[in-house]
Amino acid sequence: MNALRIAVSGLHRGENPQPGAGIIRSLRRQYPHAYIAGLIYDAMESGIYVEGGPDAIFPMPYPTNGAEAFLERLDTILAQSPVDIFIPTLDSEVELLVHLKDELAKRGLRTCLPEKAALAQRAKNRLGALANTCQVMMPETISVHSVAAAVWAARKLGYPLMVKGQYYDAKYAGNEAELASAVSKLLSEWGAPAMLQRCIHGPEFNALGLGDGEGGIAGLCCIRKTIVSDKGKGLGGMTICDKRLTGICQRLIRELRWRGPFEIEVMLDEARGEYALIEINPRFPAWIDFPSMIGANFPAALVEMIATGGPAAPLPECPAGHFYLRHQVEVHGHIDQLAALSTSADFSAKL
Amino acid sequence: MSTPLSEIMLNDKGFAFDPATGESFQLSTTGLEIVRALRDAPDRDAALAKLIAEFEVDENTARRDIDQFLSSIEKIGWLP
Repeated sequence: MNALRIAVSGLHRGENPQPGAGIIRSLRRQYPHAYIAGLIYDAMESGIYVEGGPDAIFPMPYPTNGAEAFLERLDTILAQSPVDIFIPTLDSEVELLVHLKDELAKRGLRTCLPEKAALAQRAKNRLGALANTCQVMMPETISVHSVAAAVWAARKLGYPLMVKGQYYDAKYAGNEAELASAVSKLLSEWGAPAMLQRCIHGPEFNALGLGDGEGGIAGLCCIRKTIVSDKGKGLGGMTICDKRLTGICQRLIRELRWRGPFEIEVMLDEARGEYALIEINPRFPAWIDFPSMIGANFPAALVEMIATGGPAAPLPECPAGHFYLRHQVEVHGHIDQLAALSTSADFSAKL
Repeated sequence: MSTPLSEIMLNDKGFAFDPATGESFQLSTTGLEIVRALRDAPDRDAALAKLIAEFEVDENTARRDIDQFLSSIEKIGWLP
């Protein structure tokens, strides 16, 4: 397995961290000699410059630029520096790549992606139906296509409420003015619909895992968010073992027959004493390297799954009582690297 | 959310961790002894007898302490 050549995206680790840098760190634990290419969208992604980071860096066009531009760029990269495995880490990449499985296979690039139908089934505007099927509680949610419709819907839900973009971002709205501003912004940034959701009061819990595509889960790590930033990011988490949460995850993944990495976000509705489903993300979360530190290396298991074409060996359990804290450090770069990454579409930065 | 008392992780200084919720608590000395007695004894009466014998308290005091403690842990979702 030492000859593994893996591409990983999403290397930013700042205020709003992406999973790629944590994935690379986990891969280095298991496969220290693997060749790792970082696919980036911005020269300021901090994981580019970290010690033990990628062996090479390749700027990419945004997935929203379309399949043709994305594949064309991949072709250039593969010709210059072949990789066998691609681990996408951004929702927008997964949304694009599920339609390009054949194109990727033709190029000898192996991935682990969910089926198109499964990806659509966990989309924010269809999550309620999935939750119903799996007997999971979800806060009452209404899709809206305009500010006027949002104001009308909010009268039914009551304030405060959460407003969610179609693909990303969520804003708190305590009154009609805040609602109008939030809906207007989210519709312009992410398109319609936006979702209005009844506010839940209680602690937040996340579960990360790896689905085998047959309805099973190769491993699961559940945490309670112990420190939450003002943007809702988990700056700290504690592993927990609650059969009710595990059961919810198992039911959802079984129904979706999910293949590949996932993160399930829930909140404990303190008023009802029940978990409420908030979101299912089609990728690993930014805290992915934490379970690797306690013996459950999900990125390594994913690579094994892709490399062998079979199911991953079951991952060890993550026992309750382990915690992580997000720890910020500075990384060093030089203006020459920044210039190269910013000005050349073909640049491969061996760091 | 209810966690059986037997599953609560506890150290000898009374630091308690609920593995199902991820919450931690600091028990008083009395609370720690009551938890130990409830976990070790087969039932509540046996726990009461154990506390009376070990700490030389009268039955009313021991019973009141247990009742108060059980009322507190019920609020945080622990099952005796």
